Amino acid sequence: MHELISKLCLLPGIRRSPKITDLIVRHDPHSLERLLVRKQDVLNVFAKFHNRQAMRAVEELRAQDDVLDAREIDRLLVSIHWEMQRLGEEFYHGPRVHAAVSATIATIRAAGHSGPLRIVDIGCGIGYTLRWLAGRTQIVSQGVELLGVDLNSALIREANRLSRSENLPCHFVHGDAFSPDHSGQIYLSTGVIHHFRGPALSEFLSRHQRPETLAFLHFDFQPSFLAPYGSWFFHILRMRTRIARHDGVLSAARAHTAETLVQAARSSAPEFASGMHGVHIWNTPLPRVFHTLIGVRRTLLPHLKTHFGPLASRLGELK
Amino acid sequence: MTLLILYLLALLDGLLCGGRVSMGRCALIHKRVYYLRALLRGLLGAQIISTVALMTLLAVGGVSSHRAELRDDLESAAGRMMWVFVPYAIAVLGGLALRLIPSTDLRSATSVMALGPLSAIRSPIMIAGVIYGIAPSDLLETRLLGLFVLMLMLSLEYFLNYFAAKRQAAEICQLI
Repeated sequence: MHELISKLCLLPGIRRSPKITDLIVRHDPHSLERLLVRKQDVLNVFAKFHNRQAMRAVEELRAQDDVLDAREIDRLLVSIHWEMQRLGEEFYHGPRVHAAVSATIATIRAAGHSGPLRIVDIGCGIGYTLRWLAGRTQIVSQGVELLGVDLNSALIREANRLSRSENLPCHFVHGDAFSPDHSGQIYLSTGVIHHFRGPALSEFLSRHQRPETLAFLHFDFQPSFLAPYGSWFFHILRMRTRIARHDGVLSAARAHTAETLVQAARSSAPEFASGMHGVHIWNTPLPRVFHTLIGVRRTLLPHLKTHFGPLASRLGELK
Repeated sequence: MTLLILYLLALLDGLLCGGRVSMGRCALIHKRVYYLRALLRGLLGAQIISTVALMTLLAVGGVSSHRAELRDDLESAAGRMMWVFVPYAIAVLGGLALRLIPSTDLRSATSVMALGPLSAIRSPIMIAGVIYGIAPSDLLETRLLGLFVLMLMLSLEYFLNYFAAKRQAAEICQLI
């Protein structure tokens, strides 16, 4: 039924189509240097998926000698991320992350880890989650460092500008979140994990297996019967740019199921006990918009239920 | 009294339009001042259109040869409009009031289930309310005035959004 509805809402070819924002900006995976992007190459990709909506959006972008104007793309991305922050605000993402992260920190502390902790936000964009934690909570005063990492340098510049303008105790770097320089005790992400499909998802999760990492929390859209409709309606109402609407709806349509995430985590990161958190609203069968893939070192497991307090009822089985 | 209530509803609508067009255009964490300014802009916009509507109403009343009849007809039309606008305003305020309950699930649900759909139907509600008010009117002046006020109400969000977009584009151009 879900599949049928999704097909009606988004053609199957389009559901497999990449996001526009993943194609209009490209970086060298090793040097992280920005690469030139040819407009026609992007159009060709979307033509293959018969994704006319994406093609219309890309056709509107300015190009010189068929190369997309990097400055215009950066401006567009920043305005899209400002809009996406609104989505986070409306869904009270900050308080949700705070509740789960605080419980995780309490669990780690209870297990005897008294040293400094670093929370690394993978694919942080303009850093809303960490800036919210830095600006609205006392988390930093508990010996916690907040570091956001993203592959997009324009978004990182914006995250640092915003953070500086409000004197927030968090910082953002352009790079690979799993590089030795940036590694942390707690990894988190929002709306990132659905970008990784198949072997890439397993590889992403396996990279958490490093001695210093104690836990991870990945927040992402939860696929459900209503998700494609809800997402479409919400994006039409709330998002102003064509690209944000397209990519936002695609995110919900492409989100991984809890089963996929849990299976991938358990097989790729076996040093962690992993499961889902916050799948249902209260104790009803109603799905939350976001669910969370959570993983903790197995030594932390005995402390987890205690320190999750009232949130423990939202925890699925961790193994 | 009816006109006063309609005026207050117009101010409330302007206030909320001001807030709505400003959302997603500022990425700070602490933005009370930003939203306060946005709300005031909306309120000012609503005050301007209310003043224009009132002046037009007075001007038409001033030159009309059947002033008393026009006043009665306008009051009847305004009374009928309230049957549409007041329940809508109560639904919107109810949705906002639900956000006072300290539950993240409930608060985010109001966005998706209540405030989102209610803001989506704002324009159809405006059109339905005005049409419902003026359709049974006896006088052409009442109908024309109703349509003029409708045009003002619909243009408010458009102009607030237009200027907010201009400000945002200028800010981003300065940054990048």
